[in-house]
Amino acid sequence: MNSIIVSALLGVVMMFSGIFTTNKTAIKNVAIAGLLILLFANIADTYGWYKITVDAKGMLEFTRFGLLFNSIAIFSTLIYVILSGSDFAKVGTYVAEYFALIFFVLCGVSILSCYNTLLMLFLGVEIMTIPLYILAGTDKKNLKSNEASLKYFLMGAFSTGIMLMGIALIYGVNGNFGIAFDIPAPTSPIPNYGILLPLGLLFMFVSMSFKVSAAPFHFWTPDVYDGTPAVFTSFMATVVKAAGFIAFIKLFQTHYFQLLASWKIILPLVIILTLFIGNITAVFQQSVKRMLAYSSIAQAGFMLFALYSNNDLSNEGILLYAAAYSFATIGIFSVLVKMKDYTFEGFNGLAKTQPVLAATTTVFLLSLAGIPLTAGFFAKYFMLSSAIKQHNGFFMVIIAVLFAAVSVYYYFRVIQAMYFKQGDAETTEINGRFKLGLVLLAALIILLGVMPNMLLQYLYF
Amino acid sequence: MNLIQIIFWFLSSFAVISAIMVLVSKSPVHSVLWLIAVFFAISGHYILLNAQFLAIVNLIVYAGAIMVLFLFVIMMMNLNKDTDPQKNIWIKLAGAVSGGCLLMVLVSLVKQATEINGKEAMLGKGDIGLIGTLGKVLFTDFVVPFEISSVLFLSAMVGAVVIGKKDSKLENN
Repeated sequence: MNSIIVSALLGVVMMFSGIFTTNKTAIKNVAIAGLLILLFANIADTYGWYKITVDAKGMLEFTRFGLLFNSIAIFSTLIYVILSGSDFAKVGTYVAEYFALIFFVLCGVSILSCYNTLLMLFLGVEIMTIPLYILAGTDKKNLKSNEASLKYFLMGAFSTGIMLMGIALIYGVNGNFGIAFDIPAPTSPIPNYGILLPLGLLFMFVSMSFKVSAAPFHFWTPDVYDGTPAVFTSFMATVVKAAGFIAFIKLFQTHYFQLLASWKIILPLVIILTLFIGNITAVFQQSVKRMLAYSSIAQAGFMLFALYSNNDLSNEGILLYAAAYSFATIGIFSVLVKMKDYTFEGFNGLAKTQPVLAATTTVFLLSLAGIPLTAGFFAKYFMLSSAIKQHNGFFMVIIAVLFAAVSVYYYFRVIQAMYFKQGDAETTEINGRFKLGLVLLAALIILLGVMPNMLLQYLYF
Repeated sequence: MNLIQIIFWFLSSFAVISAIMVLVSKSPVHSVLWLIAVFFAISGHYILLNAQFLAIVNLIVYAGAIMVLFLFVIMMMNLNKDTDPQKNIWIKLAGAVSGGCLLMVLVSLVKQATEINGKEAMLGKGDIGLIGTLGKVLFTDFVVPFEISSVLFLSAMVGAVVIGKKDSKLENN
């Protein structure tokens, strides 16, 4: 409960900080301090040092898994604000409000990681996405930003409508909003709930797939990620997406979904389609920003393996994946924001002009591609081994590995442009602290790649 | 015929006549005003059924907010006789057929629902629709979602201000 309350309050604090100062650096520092407080509050909740207890009538359930994910999300946001926070001012004037919206998103994330009723799921999804519609449209003079905002809003509202329909149908069967269903004994036949329950579950599945941009519900992703100002795409594609997956997994772990055998057909199809569309389309992109949008669809395909296998190993894996993917993508986007030209050509010869940026970007890209010794490798490894452990799904694993090999192509195109192509990549002014931040983030990714248990041990101790 | 029945028949006929007027009036603004009359009549029915909360929300949200939006849209589109699109006979026919189908479905639904045959609506009975009952549930069982939804509205308001306010960067250009 700590993180829900504290993040909402900090959002209000950020809102008011805009009254007292217009100094962008001061506002950024307030946000960093706020995130540190939030991180501490969440850790205090995890270890029971200090808990705000509210009688939620069983609507919220605080597990170690959810709280650890909160910490990862808050820590990723902290990195994000440290690296890209000063670029907010380039987008528009209302920096304090942007930070306030980000804190509100974190409030939604905290709800999604520990909801226990469909009502809270709905509220969490809405609190998480409504600030994003606004952040997508902050670059008011840019038509692409307007388009992204409107598209995201209309599509998001539509998928929320589908989710509400699903919740209503499940409510019709169940009589309440709880996600704990009366479980039939393993031996007894599955009771017949008629058409309502499967239809409701299907609607929920469609809506959640939409939120995490799994194919065939991914069409909004490239345009929205491309049109949104790059600083905010970074946040949308990492923390928010990972939170969507946590919510999806929590929903899938309920007995609802276990009741239906047909997921064993639907889910692998969705995974393969997501991997296929994400990876193959990313190959043909000319803009690094758009390539990263498609790569986020491709990474979503890997994260869907957590739903497919749904065991202890995949629970560990999704946390590691959330951390590895968020850190690497935040790093790449923070470099991308500094670039003058977002195409692949814009990166030509970056290694000559900015060697530190090029080296750290290489680490981030290697992590996304899943090369050993980076965090991304173990994240993918956990996902695939969990699939083998649960379903003996060698076929799925082979397909996933093939597509991971495809992804190496488009990630390495950026590395190739930076190191082996002639050109003078132009960047905006880069200070020493930004470089130091990038180096530390790269070091963290390598450290996680060598010792993934450094993160995962917190799940148990 | 007691008083409640008289009110019921009055409200029903008022609703039906207003609904017909929505369709037949030439000016779109008049249509919207007649639609507001329909909503008032339906709210009256809700009050007869002892659903005060629903009645008030129906007035505030539909008759108040949504109709103002409708009027705004009509005003911005600046509809008048010249812009009235020429409707050909086939479109009118298709509209009549689809509307008739919907009517048939609704009528057959009411006819098939045997549970409600020969029963009267519960007039002035039951307390499930009272504001007090709703408030009690909202502030005991559902107090956490209720409070958390305030974060949702707050973020929406901040967003509206961010989108709506003039960017000082734009003013300079």
